[in-house]
Amino acid sequence: MRISSGRRITPILGAELDKFRTLPLIRLTLTVTFILNIALTAAFTSVSLQETTGTQNTLNTGLASMGYLQAGFIILGILATCSEYTGGQIRTTLTAMPWRGVQISAKMLALAMITIPAAFIMAASGVLYAFIMLGDTALMTEIGTVIQTLAGATGYLTLTALLSAAVGAILRRTTPAVVVLLGYYFIVSPLTRDWLPGYLPDKAGYYMYTPPSVDAGNILTPMEGTGVAMLWTLSLMAAAILLYRRRDA
Amino acid sequence: MLTINSLVKRRGSQQILSGISFEARPGRVTGFLGPNGAGKSSTLRILLGLDRATSGSALIQGKPYAELHHPLATVGAALDGSGAHPMRTGRAHLRWIARAAGLPRSRVEEVLELTGLSDAAGKRVRNYSLGMGKRLGMAAALLGDPDILILDEPVNGLDPEGIRWIRTFLRKRAESGHTVLLSSHLMGELAETVDDVVIIKQGTIVAAGTLQEVIGRHSSLEEAFFALTMEKAGDGV
Repeated sequence: MRISSGRRITPILGAELDKFRTLPLIRLTLTVTFILNIALTAAFTSVSLQETTGTQNTLNTGLASMGYLQAGFIILGILATCSEYTGGQIRTTLTAMPWRGVQISAKMLALAMITIPAAFIMAASGVLYAFIMLGDTALMTEIGTVIQTLAGATGYLTLTALLSAAVGAILRRTTPAVVVLLGYYFIVSPLTRDWLPGYLPDKAGYYMYTPPSVDAGNILTPMEGTGVAMLWTLSLMAAAILLYRRRDA
Repeated sequence: MLTINSLVKRRGSQQILSGISFEARPGRVTGFLGPNGAGKSSTLRILLGLDRATSGSALIQGKPYAELHHPLATVGAALDGSGAHPMRTGRAHLRWIARAAGLPRSRVEEVLELTGLSDAAGKRVRNYSLGMGKRLGMAAALLGDPDILILDEPVNGLDPEGIRWIRTFLRKRAESGHTVLLSSHLMGELAETVDDVVIIKQGTIVAAGTLQEVIGRHSSLEEAFFALTMEKAGDGV
């Protein structure tokens, strides 16, 4: 290994970005997720407008769809790694880039480079929509809190996509990965809400985009939530890389 | 130069390769022949670093695949199928490979031209015929203009014209000093193309040598192949 990883990473990262760019499923997932998120935000906003009692918080309404929005990023993550196993592409990938650890890390980095702007645009568009629609009735939220919350939402969705990519790399097949991840996020996690309150990836991640408040009784601060969610993602990524390096392709 | 030395592969309790050794030398086309399931693909996958050997080694210019500095300029490989995602276009597939290997985009058009895929390059791979998928695999293998070609069943699924093209191409490749290793379970198609023959049966090499040596007293490569593989199968009876 006389060639440094640094010199290798640029072409590998470029190739991984090319793969994402030229796979129609990736674009389709992002487009559908964006549209559904706006539609859901519109629904939550109109419900919010009909409620005459209580305060209407632009941020809460704009991010009310996060639970569903994350599904798009779960699928995105799964596609990123499982698409390698369609049509025998993994053989081409590993003969072109036999440095497995570097290659899969570059793929994760490429995924983050796509997810960060996509997640920010989607989260921000929801909040913007709610802000426009709720207008004067909205409880004014400080701009600092808005930015912090959007950064938290972007970070959460990015970590979710990376975690899903790691699970996809471990399972290698799209359908089992979809069943396991959607099953966890939409069935197992809601059912176990009362136990393990802040320590599962999605529950800890929830606090990343939920500003600390005195009355709500938050279990974790945004920073603690970020820490726990990041730990889950990094652990699963480490497991995925380790397996990827050792297994027969 | 490809060197396979005492290669053993076990999967669970199954013995796939039981210590095989052979070489593929520059300037020659080496045919790696055997019935389906004999261990040909497993050997090639280990050689390309896709699978791990249980013991023994498979080296390219004396190194394991993962230690090559410019893998695509050293080895071009086409295994079963196109090796491309069906939703991507042929051109997009070759372009990301070229990017990974630091090759210019113009090289993609060259190999498309060479393999007769220029017109189909903008189509998604799932719309390709078996033969076109095979050609795309060849195009990817040739991108880096490699010293060594490793091809798994290269004529399988090709029309007569395609088979003729492959034969001529591989001969020219070997004559200009390159190493060519191809696997096949078809004997007839290969006799005119190969210089050296390695015959594998149930994970063991049953014959290796020049074409003439392996044919020996038999009337053709096909006869020799069946005689050799039957003898082996009949050992236990």
